[in-house]
Amino acid sequence: MSTVTSDTHSAAHGEHAHASSFLKTYVFSLDHKIIGLQFLFSTLIWFFVGGMLALGIRWQLAFPWRPMPILGNLLATAEGGQIAPEVYTMLVTMHATVMIFFVIIPVLAGAFGNFLIPLMIGADDMAVPFLNMASYWVMWPAFIVMGMSFFVEGGASQGGWTAYPPFALTQGDGQFLWLIGLTLVGISSMMGSVNYMTTIIQMRAPGMTMFRLPMTIWAMFITAILQAFALPVLTAAGFMQLMDLKMGTGFFIPEGWTTNNNPMASGGGQPLLWQHLFWFYSHPAVYIMILPAMGMVSDILSTFSRKPLFGYKPMVYSISGIAGLGFIVWGHHMFVSGMNPMLGMTFMVSTMMIALPSAIKTFNWLGTMWGGKIQFTTPMLFAIAFVSMFIIGGLSGIFMAATPIDIFIHDTYYIVAHFHYVLFSGTAMAVFGGIYYWFPKMFGRMMNESLGKIHFTLTFVLMNCVFFPMHILGMVGFPRRLADPYHYETFRNLLPLNQFISYCAFALVASQVFFVLNFFGSMFFGPRAGRNPWKANGLEWQAPSPPGHGNFDFQPVIYRGPYEYGSPEVEEDYYPQTQPPPDKQEDVSQ
Amino acid sequence: MSHSVKQFVSAVALLSAAFISGCDSVDPPAFRMNMVEAVSYETSSDYQQEIADVLGALFGTPDEPFALPETGLDQSKLTQSAGAAWSDEEGYNYGLYRKHCVHCHGVTGDGRGATAQFLNPYPRDYRPGVYKFKSTFNAAKPTDDDLHRVLINGIPGTAMPSFSLLPGSEVESLVEYVKYLSYRGEMETKLIQYVFNELGEDEEEADDGTITVTRIPLDPANDPDQRDAVMELLAEVVEEWDAANGMIVAPEEESIPADDRSPEEILASVEKGRELFYGKAANCYTCHGPTGLGDGQVDDYDNWQKAHKKFLDETVKMADKDELDDYEYALLGQREEVSESLYPLRNAIPRNLRQGVYRGGNRRLDIFRRIYAGIAGSPMPAGGPTGPGAKSALSEAEMWSIVDYVLSLPYEPASQPQKVTPKYTEAIAR
Amino acid sequence: MRRFWSVLFLLVPILGVATFVAAPYYNIWFPKDVSEHGRTIDNLFMFILWLTGIVFVATELTLFYFMWKYDEKSTKTPVKFSHGSHALELVWTILPAATLLFIAIYQMEAWASAKMQPPDMKPLVEVTGRQFNWDFRYPGPDNELYTEDDIVRTDGKLYLPVNEDVLLRITSLDVLHSFFLPNLRMKQDVIPGMQQSMWFKATDTGGYDIVCAELCGWGHYKMKGRVYFLPREKYEMKLEEMRREQNTMRAEIPEEDDE
Repeated sequence: MSTVTSDTHSAAHGEHAHASSFLKTYVFSLDHKIIGLQFLFSTLIWFFVGGMLALGIRWQLAFPWRPMPILGNLLATAEGGQIAPEVYTMLVTMHATVMIFFVIIPVLAGAFGNFLIPLMIGADDMAVPFLNMASYWVMWPAFIVMGMSFFVEGGASQGGWTAYPPFALTQGDGQFLWLIGLTLVGISSMMGSVNYMTTIIQMRAPGMTMFRLPMTIWAMFITAILQAFALPVLTAAGFMQLMDLKMGTGFFIPEGWTTNNNPMASGGGQPLLWQHLFWFYSHPAVYIMILPAMGMVSDILSTFSRKPLFGYKPMVYSISGIAGLGFIVWGHHMFVSGMNPMLGMTFMVSTMMIALPSAIKTFNWLGTMWGGKIQFTTPMLFAIAFVSMFIIGGLSGIFMAATPIDIFIHDTYYIVAHFHYVLFSGTAMAVFGGIYYWFPKMFGRMMNESLGKIHFTLTFVLMNCVFFPMHILGMVGFPRRLADPYHYETFRNLLPLNQFISYCAFALVASQVFFVLNFFGSMFFGPRAGRNPWKANGLEWQAPSPPGHGNFDFQPVIYRGPYEYGSPEVEEDYYPQTQPPPDKQEDVSQ
Repeated sequence: MSHSVKQFVSAVALLSAAFISGCDSVDPPAFRMNMVEAVSYETSSDYQQEIADVLGALFGTPDEPFALPETGLDQSKLTQSAGAAWSDEEGYNYGLYRKHCVHCHGVTGDGRGATAQFLNPYPRDYRPGVYKFKSTFNAAKPTDDDLHRVLINGIPGTAMPSFSLLPGSEVESLVEYVKYLSYRGEMETKLIQYVFNELGEDEEEADDGTITVTRIPLDPANDPDQRDAVMELLAEVVEEWDAANGMIVAPEEESIPADDRSPEEILASVEKGRELFYGKAANCYTCHGPTGLGDGQVDDYDNWQKAHKKFLDETVKMADKDELDDYEYALLGQREEVSESLYPLRNAIPRNLRQGVYRGGNRRLDIFRRIYAGIAGSPMPAGGPTGPGAKSALSEAEMWSIVDYVLSLPYEPASQPQKVTPKYTEAIAR
Repeated sequence: MRRFWSVLFLLVPILGVATFVAAPYYNIWFPKDVSEHGRTIDNLFMFILWLTGIVFVATELTLFYFMWKYDEKSTKTPVKFSHGSHALELVWTILPAATLLFIAIYQMEAWASAKMQPPDMKPLVEVTGRQFNWDFRYPGPDNELYTEDDIVRTDGKLYLPVNEDVLLRITSLDVLHSFFLPNLRMKQDVIPGMQQSMWFKATDTGGYDIVCAELCGWGHYKMKGRVYFLPREKYEMKLEEMRREQNTMRAEIPEEDDE
């Protein structure tokens, strides 16, 4: 069989790589795998930072005005070690900013997108490797600028991650740096997305038709399109806010506007304009943050159910449908914003409709598991958790889509519960699953299954304890971003529930130690993985682990889709994409 | 790569260890010394410590404040206001000040809380014991009711919110605590001045002609003379506050306009108020501007800012001096350090009378009192007598007319042609 | 251990439903509803909660069942080599689509009455959000806002008549705020330079919280207010009292202590 080639070839590649300088190999590398791992490590560090910021929020909500240990001192709190209210607002803002722009988007598109796209389509690298490297190194100024903003006068941005003017315009240098950082992240994403689209369209291996692409690649492809079309709007809006902030323009400033007894601004603009522009990007961004996760989960589910993916084409169509509809639902973030209520009705209908593709996908995942032989490996558990949690996150979205109900639950903890169920319990689970699943390909070693399962169980249980009760908080009308909600009579009795949530949140963060140990331990001491430890079909599993420079030690030729598990054509329960069909096999051997 | 990975692992381990072990590492908050005063009066660090000790003996700490019976402050109210804002105890209802006020006004009541620097106007510094919105004569202290009223209504046009929804007893406790912080602040300044004027270094010539220089410590505990002096200073502070109730500005019955005035009468009063507004005696327009927009005189400062300005100016003057001896050089260092810690100076801008936002309250009586007694600490002068029995620039009836005129301003179109003022006639005539 | 994972996932629907069942017993539920349309909103919420609850339990149980049944170790039959089913896809496209469309249309009435059909009257109060307080301006005897007899209150207490249509004009002085009345299920962002309206009919007297629901600065949490619903005559007495207080010209001097 052509697929079985000795590993010596890749070893030679490896040595060849080592010969060049360390800096070129590991730092300013043009290799998509190294760039992917650079993204992965960076985002994991920011994941830690974002988690710590979340702990600050939970601390204040559980023990309002109690002096906060260590972290409190680091964040320059008010006298007496209390979290000052403006620090709380900063925590809320920066937690969201870090998690969305420095963790979820770069880990999905940057880390997994980079690492997987060439491997899964049979290319030796990205279409434009230099652009790829640049897309990572543009993140660094963003990291630095955002990190720096914590130390400028007035601290990091306190305007909320949505940066609604005119409040955001009352901020100082923190907001300025925030906008700069966001623009840089946008540039990075833009470079990445152009590269991904080109690579997927142009560089597929022979036989890899569009409908033989794994769901992960389809999702990355659609994500790249979403980014390419939505990002310019945010970048433009960001520049407009930057000019309002520093150059005295008035795009988002109403006429005769003044605050804090400052001289009147020139004005003549409209604050709602920002919300429209911002959500025109940020609603598609919601799908940028979930589609790749859906793709990865589809692959993992199929592999460990040992069964073809149920409804491959409907899945592809529903992803594309989400992408299309994603551009006409932004108004559902603005039902009570003062936008014309007539528009609310339109956006309600389109929003209801966008729930449809998600429902189709969920049913197809269940269909994939139906009648399979499920192997409960750690990546599979995370993938199933994604499905289970995405059901909650998806269904709770319907409440917000219904405009009359949204009047009440808008900006309460109901929405917080909803998006954490989608983003943490959803996307983050898929990311963990993806790391456990592709770790052997990344580092050539297996991760520890026992530690992985401990990590999974703790994470799964604790995150539900953290986020599920938030639905109930939302039903009471508990608003987001309140530094001390308990002096309202309505919310006074919620303190015990919030303390429970906070204890679980602390434990949730602590339980990630198992992941960190497993991740770094396995990197050096894990058992060596062969090319295809999971007996998976995907093209990436035919490459050496880890793949050398240029990825494949043979020219891959694709004969079928990636999900032919349990095919009656072959004896084994898997049927790699590169394995020629029985009748053609002889042709090759001739 | 492995090297950076190891670094990362150890960083993670260190940070999490620090987080877990770092509980209870926060120091309890302490009162801060009034450094502008201390450095102005060249208080040495020994004296600063001794002053802090004396103040501690007189007033306690932020966590455990107390007041001597001489002050007349209610200890139980102070206890309720002070202390940490959070406790595990069931039904804990203390720490009101640190829950509601500390972010702006600071633990010491010096108006330097964490948020203060972002606010315009800056939060009130309680230490000089000067309050703007009160019912008493310009130089007098406010009454408890005045402070209470500010807490209930907030100060519109500033970041001071209303606390009307707190239980009445809590508002009273906070009023008591604000007074306590003022007593303490005033006492601090008096002690600094006392040390500067009365104590210092004592030169003693021994029999053999050698001169030994000894510092006279501030030690009222062991020095009965000092003790008496300190208690007298405290009595001065308390006396002024206690006198407030007798200094209330109350309009005379006959000058108060009748409730059932006809529209014509009101119009006539407004007209009269307008004349006074631009007249020589009241002279309102010089500051509030020819159209009442508050743009007449915009480069003055209020008393708190004036004190800082004086300090900054003196520092600059000192730095410009050609020769400095060691002592002066050290002092300059201290001055510069304190100067850097001060917030940027801000001008006191006269109220824009066309907005209908009145910081001291929008009752007719409130406006009257602002005109009658002026606004303490601000450039707004008193239209009435400065104290009981003193001479008055305007009659009460005139002041009521100005009230009518001021209250009509927000509803009078600003584009309406104004009465030509004498100032401008002269300018044109020339 | 073999069934551990399936049971772990079974806990999701069980505990999920249990949370919603238990919450009312701990009095952590909708705040007391005192408005007419609040009932509509609560009912709509409960309707969707039941609908999604059923879907939630059904899908989660299906997931559990598949995990339990198709476990690798207990399944001896070969896997179903199926790439999907056209009929099934159609079913689970059309069914949810119809349901979702139904939900959307079902909600429109309530939305229209809450946000599109104001009562035909002049606003009773103008609510102004500012950093960080709610100020209230009553039109006074002439029933016109921005005239000289307006009553302006900055103490965060809003008085309104009960059992009557109420129309509020709401606006902002500086940044975005959101006027949120949890007990009336009402919320409206306020935007400087724009005027919004809010209307409702309270059904019970008493005092209820006013919350700011849009991040407006460090003092966001301090923007607390309270709305009091009074019977008509008490409401008018209160208005008169406030009017008189604003016009007050006589100082009430507290009696001096003799000590």
